[in-house]
Formats: sequence, C-alpha cells, structure tokens
Amino acid sequence: MSSSICLRRLPQLSSESSIHSSIGSRNLLSSTQTSSFSTSTARFASPLMKKKTGQVAAPKRGAKTLNVKKGRGGSGRDTGRKPAIGERKALRKRIVLSNTNALEVPTLQDLTKDNVLDKAVEGKVMGIPGEVVDALRAVEAFKTSQGWSLFRRPAALMRKETVQIAELVKQVEAGEAKAKQTIRKVLVGDKMSGKSTLVLQGLMIALLRNWVVINLPDAKDIVLGHTEYAPLPGSTPTQYYQETYTATLLSQIAKANSEILSKIQVTSKPALPIPTPPKLNLLKLAELGAANPEASWPVFVALWKELTLPGRPPIMMAIDNLAHVMRNSEYLSADAKPVHAHDLTIVRHFVDHLSGTKTLPNGGIILAAETKSNSPACPALDYSIQLAEARQLGREVLPEWNPYKVVDMRVMECLRNMEVLRSNGLSKEEARAIMEYYAASGMLRAKVDAPFVSERWTLAGQGNIGELERASVRARI
Amino acid sequence: MSRAELQRRLLQATDALGALSLSRPQCQRALSFRQNSPSQCLSTTSKNSAELTSENSQEKFTAAPPIDFNTFNKAKKPQPLSLKTLRVIPASPSYFSAKPTFTDDFINLSALLRKVATLPTVPASEAPRVAWKTIHQYRIMVNEPVKTLRYHRILDILHRLNRIHPSLMPEEVREAMLRYKKAAQPEDRIPKPGVIDELGRAKGVGRRKTSSAVAWVVEGEGEVLVNGKNLSQFFGRLHDRESAVWALKATERLDKYNVWALVQGGGVTGQAEALTLAVAKALLVHEPALKPALRRAGCITRDPRKVERKKAGHVKARKMPTWVKR
Repeated sequence: MSSSICLRRLPQLSSESSIHSSIGSRNLLSSTQTSSFSTSTARFASPLMKKKTGQVAAPKRGAKTLNVKKGRGGSGRDTGRKPAIGERKALRKRIVLSNTNALEVPTLQDLTKDNVLDKAVEGKVMGIPGEVVDALRAVEAFKTSQGWSLFRRPAALMRKETVQIAELVKQVEAGEAKAKQTIRKVLVGDKMSGKSTLVLQGLMIALLRNWVVINLPDAKDIVLGHTEYAPLPGSTPTQYYQETYTATLLSQIAKANSEILSKIQVTSKPALPIPTPPKLNLLKLAELGAANPEASWPVFVALWKELTLPGRPPIMMAIDNLAHVMRNSEYLSADAKPVHAHDLTIVRHFVDHLSGTKTLPNGGIILAAETKSNSPACPALDYSIQLAEARQLGREVLPEWNPYKVVDMRVMECLRNMEVLRSNGLSKEEARAIMEYYAASGMLRAKVDAPFVSERWTLAGQGNIGELERASVRARI
Repeated sequence: MSRAELQRRLLQATDALGALSLSRPQCQRALSFRQNSPSQCLSTTSKNSAELTSENSQEKFTAAPPIDFNTFNKAKKPQPLSLKTLRVIPASPSYFSAKPTFTDDFINLSALLRKVATLPTVPASEAPRVAWKTIHQYRIMVNEPVKTLRYHRILDILHRLNRIHPSLMPEEVREAMLRYKKAAQPEDRIPKPGVIDELGRAKGVGRRKTSSAVAWVVEGEGEVLVNGKNLSQFFGRLHDRESAVWALKATERLDKYNVWALVQGGGVTGQAEALTLAVAKALLVHEPALKPALRRAGCITRDPRKVERKKAGHVKARKMPTWVKR
C-alpha cells in the first residue's frame, strides 16, 4: 500500500499542526489530505493508527534493536527551544563594533571636521567619532564581514584611496555656488581589498563635513524580489516602486542626517497622498514617509526636490554590490516579463546620477562599489570598468567588446562615462601603520618590525588589507 | 695513463718475471687468467672487458686444462726431476673453494689493505662519495651465491681503502676499487649550473605530486605573481601561500626577491609545494651558499610520493571490499 503522506514526516506532522495551527503553512504535508465526500480517510489517518504501518515486522521479544531515529519520545529528541522567527537572521546580521577584550589604543586620535580633509592624516589609523558611528550604523555602512568586532572601538586606516576621496570632497566644497561639481566614482578592486570600507570612509567624511548622506547598503536587497512592488502610475515605460524599501530608506536617511535635516524647512508645497502638518522640516518629512509606507515614494521625491534646491548641503550617495542593479531584477511585470533593475524607481534614481544624466545642483559625490564575493556575472560592467581604467591610464589601445557576449545596452549606456577608483593593496608603510594598530590593540602578539611587516605584506598578496587582517589578527596559529 | 697502456706494460713485466723465475709448474688456468688481464695484479680472477661496460654482466669462468708435464720439461732446461718441481700448486689459494672468485677477491683486498694500512686517512665524512655495487650486482658479476654478510666484509675493506687520503691514494688501490664500483658514480652527474640572465632572472623548476612549477626569481621587494595572479588570489589558504614562498621565508629573503611563476597540473597543495622547490632552485642560482639552509628547511629534496595505483580486486589501492557473509 502506498501512503499518501511520507511516513518519515509523520511525527512532525502531528506536532506541527498542533503547535502552529494558527499559522497558515505553505507546507502541503502539514494539512491532512481529505477528499470532500468521504470522511473515512481522515478518520483512519490519525497519527496513532498510522504509526504501526511504518514498521515492517515487530522485533522479537527480548531482542534489543538499535533505534537511532529522532522520533518522538526517543532519547535523541531535541528538547531545546527553537529560535523565534527572525532570530537567527538577526544574529547573523548583528553588527558588533566593540571588543572589550581588546586594549584601548592610547595614541588613537579621532577624526574631526577639520582634520578629515587634511593631508597629514594619510597613512594613519584614525578613530571614528561616536555620533558618526551612530549615523553610519543607521545607514548600515558597517558590514558583518569587516573586522569591527575585533577592536575596542571603530577606527580605520586613512589609506591613499581614502585621502583621494577626501580630496574629491574638498574639490566639491571648493566649487562655485552656482556650478557645484557632481563627482561619480566606481570603486573596484580585488576581493577583500577594502572597497566597502572605502564606501564607509566616504560616508564618514561626508557626515563629518555635514553633507546629506544616502546609502544603499546592498543592491541585492533591492532587486532580490523580497519586498512588495507596484507599478508607478503615469510612468512610461512602466517603472516600479517599492514601498517598504523606500520607507526603510527614508527612516535611515532621517536617522543618519537628523541634525542637518531638522534645520531645513520645507519651502515648496509637495502634493502628498497623506495629510501633512503645516510647518514641516525635512526630518519630519522623512519620518512621515518612513511611517507611511504607502506614501514613501512621493515623500522621497519631495525630499529629493527639497534637497536639490539652491543653498542646501551637498549630497553623498553610495551603493554597494553594484553588479546586482546592472541586470534584470527578480521582479516580474504584469505580462510576466522580468523587470530590469533600472526600471525600479530607487535604482533608476541612483543610476541616473551615476550615469551623469542628472546632476546634483548643490554638488556631491556618487560612490558605487563592486563586490567580488557575491556578485552576478555582468559582462557589461566588467567591460566598462576595463574601458574606464584604460581611458584613465591614457592607453593608446582600448579594450574591445567581446562580440560573443550578450550586451545589456542599458548598462552600457549608463556606464559610458564612468570613472574608476581602484583600491589596490596597501603600501608597506600603510601596512606597518595598521599592523602597529593591531599590536597596540593587543590583537597581534608579535614584534612589528620591517621583516615581519614585509613578510605579512607578501603573504597578504601585496598588501591586500583584508588578507592582512586575516593573516595577522584572525588567524591564531 | 690509459688503461690499455698500463695493461700492456704490466703484461710485459709479468712475462719477464715468469720467464726468469717460473721454476715450478703452475696451474694453466691461473696463468691464462693472468695473461688475459694483468691489470688485476693481485687477483687470480679475470676482469673481462664486458664488465667494464655493463656492470651486471657475468665473468667468464672456464675450468683449467689438464697439466701437460712434457711441456714443462721441454720448455725448461733439463733439470734433475724433483718432487718439489712436480708438485702442482694452484695459483689461487681458493682453488678448491666452492666460491673461488669471492674468496680471491676477499683475500686480495685484505692483502692490499695490509699493504696500505699505514697510509694516512681522512674521516669517513670527508672521503669521496662512492656508489659501490650492490650485493645483487656483485652476485651477478661473479656468478656465485655470495652471502650478504660476506659481501659486507668486502665492503668494509673497501670503505677503509676509500678513506685513504685522496692525495696519497696508490694507483694500485684505485685500480682494485674500480672492480667494486658501480658504472655510474654520483660525481658523474653534475647538473648544469643555473645562470642569471641579462635581466637578472634566475629560473627554477619544481615538481610535487602531479604539479609542476617554473619560477623566475629576480631581486625586488617581495612581490609574487603566480599564473598572473597575486599570491592571495591564487592560493586561498594561508598555509599554501606560506608553502609557495617558504624557500624565501625560511632564509629571510622574502623582502629581497620578486617571484614570477607558472604552475600547472595537480591540486592546490601540490602546486604550492611544487612552487617551494622551484623558488628554492631559482634562489640557489642567486645565492648558492644557501643550500644547507634550504636543505634544513626541506626545500631541496623532491618528495617522490605519488598516488598509489588501484589494484584489481581492491576497492582502492589497498582497501578491500567489505566482507559479506554469503
């Protein structure tokens, strides 16, 4: 006789249905299958009755049998509490920014609004001040893969590329009031070479210089198909907006930039689908959007309009894991065709600024970082990076497109004039500075001298900072 | 002096000696042997020419022809026949032994050692390295069932003879030892010395398991490129990275040279350890004095282990199928 229910699932079946009776389960097995005109199947399908049918033959009397099944009542039964919904994810995504076992570094100086653009900080490890840490945490700039949990408090090496970004910030700030610059950079580099940390440092500099900071912490979250979406009314070709995601983004913007936004009053009269108080500052506006997901996109548009009025602060926009928004998203249109990531309103907004079709009237920087560990293949992006690098180096012969690869013309168009900032390995001086910081934190128990630094520098693949940290702090051999 | 000339001169000398003092009849076999190969002045046994070319060839051994007493009497001046002259003495003291060649060898070497015992010696570690014939090769050469222990007695004498100070080594001893040496000696194979090319590169080749690596080492500041990738991109494991540059790390030269390498075949560990050898060999071209240090670090000797082949009737090389009742 073939059973309609997998026999192995039987013990779980009863427990599941009793415990989670209120939750609508998608598991077909959790509800007993009954035909509508007969009740006998359901009656005979009681767990007690079914239990017998699973056994082939009863063991002889007195005979000992080996039972290693994790059944009910067995010795191997898991009696522990099951983690609540979202608990494991929260644990996985938890950002730890302090290690109480690490030593306090007495020589560590904090960055300030004044010294952050100073050339003198190049090659030094500098602490990130507390309020900036809070803002960066709010915009999810810290990643679990980075080694913040190893040290007493967040600090970062001001490497050559960081100073380059600081130079760009200085350049934007120095521009004329009428013609502020919009600088666009794509951060590229090897795996673990510090691209995301560079984005974080860019945001940090912007926060210290009182810029407005907007960060899309992981492009994958936007296109993954996990948030609800809807076509934007009146858009041709159809664009799609994501209410929840936009609301979260607004709340992050509000948290990170509360001080600046609260000082700016809404001057225009935005047409919002929700009632608004008469006197409104930008912080309130953003919070309004965060609290009402159904109005989040119009609020975002209104906020952006306010921020781009003359006399407002410059804006730093950043995105990590760029390759995910350079392809079709996981969303489907009404006629079941995949939606291109550029048709999502948030991505559209970002990409327009990255490609240069829209500029920031008050100046600003658009940073985009690629990722090497979790990124889909995107030939157009790879080619554009190669091309941009060749152009920047002034090469005579530019790389050519491989005609056998499928071209995503929208991506090619978008990345036509992009500029690249490559984060290479550290120099030996920078490596020495960061290793001295490791040693001062008590996380590296070795004498930091030239041969030691040189050895680790080579083993880390010519000063790859992530590998350097892995080899000297994480690896305990 | 060439061997042929030496033989010829010795032949002349022995002939002259024989003509003068051959007063009593001797075994013809022994005589014939002596004439055939007089280079072995203390040996009754011959050393044929084939032996010189291939070491596993057998020596010819023929029985002695019957003694013709008339020839003795004819050749010599008519003398009063005495018992003493009639008594036939075999040329070899081991004439009646079951293993005459081996015994001859042993007796001759012992005699030689007695003769040269007073010459100054060097410690065993400083004596020239010689590859002696193995017991099997010796057995094949003499075609006698020689016991290992007995051959070791010969080897002991040879080792002692080899320890004679090289500058005072008598020609006689050198000739005698030649018989027991393998055709190929360690000093015969001298590898071509590596060269540093006009761009300052030294090349080294290394192998391990099924991987092979070629490394070019130049003076620099510790940059490593393997198949066009840097060390961390090519080797995910820290251990493999350390293996790859172990020759430089063990000799504290990691920040003084750059490495550019090509690796192929095998797995990650094999490739890393093939690189160890390749880098070490290239480094030796730059600094030959590092050889002892590199040997201590284990970067000189090639690890000959390979995957053992699968056998019929086995699941793997050694594993047998599980035993099943019935």
